[in-house]
Order: sequence, then structure tokens, then C-alpha cells
Amino acid sequence: MSLYLFQALNGIGLGMIYFLISVGLTIIFGLLNFVNFAHGAYYLLGSYLCFTLVSLTGNFWLALVVAPVAVAMLAWVTEKTLIRRAYHLPHTFHILITLGIALIIQELSIAVWGPIGKTVAVPEALSGVFRMGDFFYPKYRLFVILFTAVIAVGLWLLLERTRFGALVRAGSEDAETVSLLGTHIHKLFALTFALGVGLAGLAGVLAAPIRGVHPFIGPEVLGLAFVVVVIGGMGSFSGALVGGLLVGLVQSMMTTIWPQGASLMIYGAMAVVILLRPYGLFGRA
Amino acid sequence: MNTSKKQASIFSGVTLAALAAVVLMPLLLPSATLATEILIFALAALGCNLLLGYTGLLSFGQAIFFGGGAYVASLTMIHLGFGLLGALFAAMIAGAALAALVGLLAIRRTGIYFVMLTLAFTQMAYFLAYTLSDWTGGDNGLLDVPRPPLTLFGFEISDLTSSYAFYTFVAVMFMLIFVFARRVIHSPFGTTLVAIRENEGRASAVGFSTNHFKLLAFVISGGITGIAGALYAMLLNFAPLSNIELLMSENILIMTIIGGTGSLLGSLLGAGSIVMLGDLLSSVWPRWMIILGIALIAVVLFMPSGLWGGVESLIKRWKERRSGASEKAAKEAEAK
Repeated sequence: MSLYLFQALNGIGLGMIYFLISVGLTIIFGLLNFVNFAHGAYYLLGSYLCFTLVSLTGNFWLALVVAPVAVAMLAWVTEKTLIRRAYHLPHTFHILITLGIALIIQELSIAVWGPIGKTVAVPEALSGVFRMGDFFYPKYRLFVILFTAVIAVGLWLLLERTRFGALVRAGSEDAETVSLLGTHIHKLFALTFALGVGLAGLAGVLAAPIRGVHPFIGPEVLGLAFVVVVIGGMGSFSGALVGGLLVGLVQSMMTTIWPQGASLMIYGAMAVVILLRPYGLFGRA
Repeated sequence: MNTSKKQASIFSGVTLAALAAVVLMPLLLPSATLATEILIFALAALGCNLLLGYTGLLSFGQAIFFGGGAYVASLTMIHLGFGLLGALFAAMIAGAALAALVGLLAIRRTGIYFVMLTLAFTQMAYFLAYTLSDWTGGDNGLLDVPRPPLTLFGFEISDLTSSYAFYTFVAVMFMLIFVFARRVIHSPFGTTLVAIRENEGRASAVGFSTNHFKLLAFVISGGITGIAGALYAMLLNFAPLSNIELLMSENILIMTIIGGTGSLLGSLLGAGSIVMLGDLLSSVWPRWMIILGIALIAVVLFMPSGLWGGVESLIKRWKERRSGASEKAAKEAEAK
């Protein structure tokens, strides 16, 4: 029994990381109306920056703050210099530009950090296990669940209760009108892109001590995020949350039953959802 | 444009240009193996171009058909003793069937969801190939893939062991498929695909069942890509797992786009330049793919019709300069 509880908690932790990745993708899609194919690459960059900061300073908490912000800033610059030039072009062009960015980031990462994966130590304060009766659970994984939950609530408040959030939601419905009403829409686009990508960077940092850093993780992360948004429906906060948790739970539960097929099952689940509900569990047509 | 005349003639300028390239490549390139690799990827790009350039479908699923074709050809040769043409036929059917399967699911959604689904299915196929390591060799790849001799009606025409003999065979296959692809895009079916690309809603309102057309385009593309994958396995005597990776889909897409979508010669040009670039740089600088990323962005932003588009505008400018403006005006008046 406690094995299943253990795996369920693992699934929730994993699912919350998937949520962070997909909600960033979703926010960007909602406002900017294109899919960021470099999302996995920015996640990768977050992981690698975490590795470098931890090995230089030994301070994971510093990495937890600095790495996502650095990734977000890089995203902001990319938006200003490259992506902005393509807003008037069709969707496929955005995809291809971000695909080019993903390739560049991945290859540069290998050039800097080498082709072999790295491991990141769990911060000292969170090493060891949390014990309740005869149930043990790694402290760090518990921290990830709690921390991502706080981030999720904060993000929800940001989107639902602030002026910025209101603008993002309004812009998702009709960017032109928001612009006509006097908002500097390009500034909003750049900030939103930076926020969404920063969340992917944060996910990369949080996952680094659990799964290590591997230079070819980007496409896998991107594929998983796509499964989440296909299941949950694109452009919806709750869809990303439920989809992320579902994918995380399926993956970790399958690990106990059929380890080699765990990744396969996620994509199988996606195919079933597409067959039964082509627009996802929460999606609109 | 006189399209009816173009349609009637197989030996149009475009086909002759492809033929010239196919004949010249082994003479100009350092090895026939490199030329063979170019033609194989040109086939894969051709399949991708039918979807992206003519139907407007951006598919990240091409690696499924490429890798699937490579595995099926290899396995039928190893376990069932299939000959060369039999294995290629099996790979074509496998590529087409996989495309039908992916297409049936992915075409249920349009736009960005379609793109995301094709990418997710590539990941799925990758994990499937990885999991079925008894069949595919998993991470190590499928070793000892044979390259059977070419036999027709019991006569052995060539044993294909020399790289030039195999190049000639691949070149014939390429030209056959190139002409076939031209017939497809100039047929009423092809013009309907373009109509779907330009405005799917309108094509469907006029009465075309657009999903059926898209699915058939997918199946044709899958079949061509499956053949390319099989030829690649025969070239390398090896079917690596990387055949079915997302990166393979991306490479095929990048070749198609850099070469120029909407023109079959563009696919040959794109595959040629990228395979040659990789051959030149990969041993000197393993991270040469950075250039591909930069080139992709540059082409998308500044040269949306790709390298072939650039070549075409050069030809046009040259022709204009030669004929002179007044003559051109006279011609136009005559045409009217």
C-alpha cells in the first residue's frame, strides 16, 4: 500500500513540474497565439544554469531564484530581437523560428556543458527523508510538491487578481482591442513570453536534483508538455493543472507496473483522449 | 502560366533539371555514398514538401515513417528473406499505413494542435521502438541489415555492392518518385490540396471532403518517406534508433524549408546543401547544427521561399534582362 502512496506522491510531484512547463506554454499560446517549440530548450537551460550555480556557489536556493530569472530575461531578449519580427507571419513561421532557437540552445548547451549528463545534489536542508509512522518520503520531493503548489496559487492570483493578469486574459480574447484601448501590447507580449518561459526554466531547476540534467531532454519535455495541453486543452490554467497531474500520475504508476513502457503509456493515453474527446478534457472547439 | 501543357509533359524543365542534378552529383561529389545520402534525404524532403508546401500541413511525424520504413524493410529482409524490391514495397506500405494511423488521429485536429499531435506521436514511436528492443535493437540499432541484389523476373541485374551501382539504383528510384510526385501535384487531387492549404474552410464549403484529401496526402507522404528510410538502412547496412527520433523529423523539415517549400526541386536543393554541410562540418565541429538553427531562422524571416526561391528569382531576373522590357511587354500583349 505504502508503495502506491509513494508512487502517487511521486506522480503528483512530477505532475506539478509538468504543470509548470505546460502552463507557461499555455499562457504564451493564449496571448501570442503561437506554440513555443523552444520551451523544452529553455527548460534545459534552467536545469544547466541550476547545475552551474550549485556547483559554483553550493547554494541551491540562489539557483532557484537566479536561474529562472536568467532564463526569463533571455526569453525577453529573444522576443525583442527575433520573435517580434514574425508576428505578422503565419503560425508555422513562429513554430519554425522557435524550432531554430531550440536547436541553437541545445547545441550551445552541449558546447558549454558537454554531451554527457550532469547530476545536481539535493540541497542539504532537504536531503534525507520525511517520516510519518512507517511511511518514508524524500524531503526534497515533498518540498517540490509544496513549492509548486505555492507557485500555482501565486500564478492563479497573478492571472486572476492583478491588472497584468486582466490584460493577459483580455489580450488572449482580442489583442487588437486591448492595444486600441491604450495598452502597450508589445510590452505585454514580451513580458508574457518571459513569464511563460521563466516557468519552464523554474521547472528545469526543480527537476534537476531529481532527474539530473541531460542535453537531449528538451524534445522529451516538449513532447510531454504537448501531451498535457492536448489532454487538458490549450489556453486553460485548470487544463494544464489537471492534465499535468494526470500525466505525472499515469507515468509514475506505470513505473511500478511496466517500467519500460511508462513513457509509452502517456502517449497512449493521449491517443485515447484524442479518439474520445478530440478537443481535450476541458477544451473548447 | 500554361499549366495544361506542363501537366501533359513528363519531361518538363523541372524534371530535366532534377535528372541533370542526379547525373552530375556522383561526378562532382567526393563519393557516391554522399550522393546517395543526398538523394535519400531528398526523397524524405519530397514527402515532407507534399504535406508542408502543397497541403499546408506542418508535420513533425516524418521520422515515424522514415524509421518505420527502415525497420520494416530491415526486418522483412532479415527474418522473411525479402528481396530488394520486396523490402522497399513493404517499407512503402508500412510508411503509408503508419501515416494513415497517425493521420487518422492527428487530422481530427487542425492548426497548432495538429502540429503538436504529430510531434507527440513521434515521441510515442520513439519510445515504442526503444521498448521493442528485441525487434529493433533498441539503443544499439538494428545491425547487419543486408543490401540484396537487384533482380527482376529472376534475372540478377546488379548486386549493388559497389557504391556507384547502389547510387544508380537509388537515382532511378528517386526519378520515378519525383515524376510521380509531379504528377500528383499537377493532378486535380494536387490542386485540391493547394486549395486546402490556401483556405480550408472554402475548400470544404465548395464540397471537398478536406479531411479525406489531407489523409491521402499524408499516406502518399508516408509511403515516400518509408521508401527513403528503407534505402537509408540499405545504404548504412544498419537501422539506428535515431531514424525514428524527433531530431530526424526536424532535420527533414529543415531540409524542406531551407530548400524551399512548394517546389520539388527545392527539396533536392535543401537535402543536398544540408547533407553536404553536415558531411563537411560534422567531423571538424560536432556542434554544426547551430548553423542549421540560425539558417532556419534566417530563411523563415528573410527568404520564405527558401534557396530554390532565391534561385528562381535569379533565373527570372536573368531572363528579364536578356529579353528586355519592351519585348516582354509585347509578349504580354500577345498572350492576352
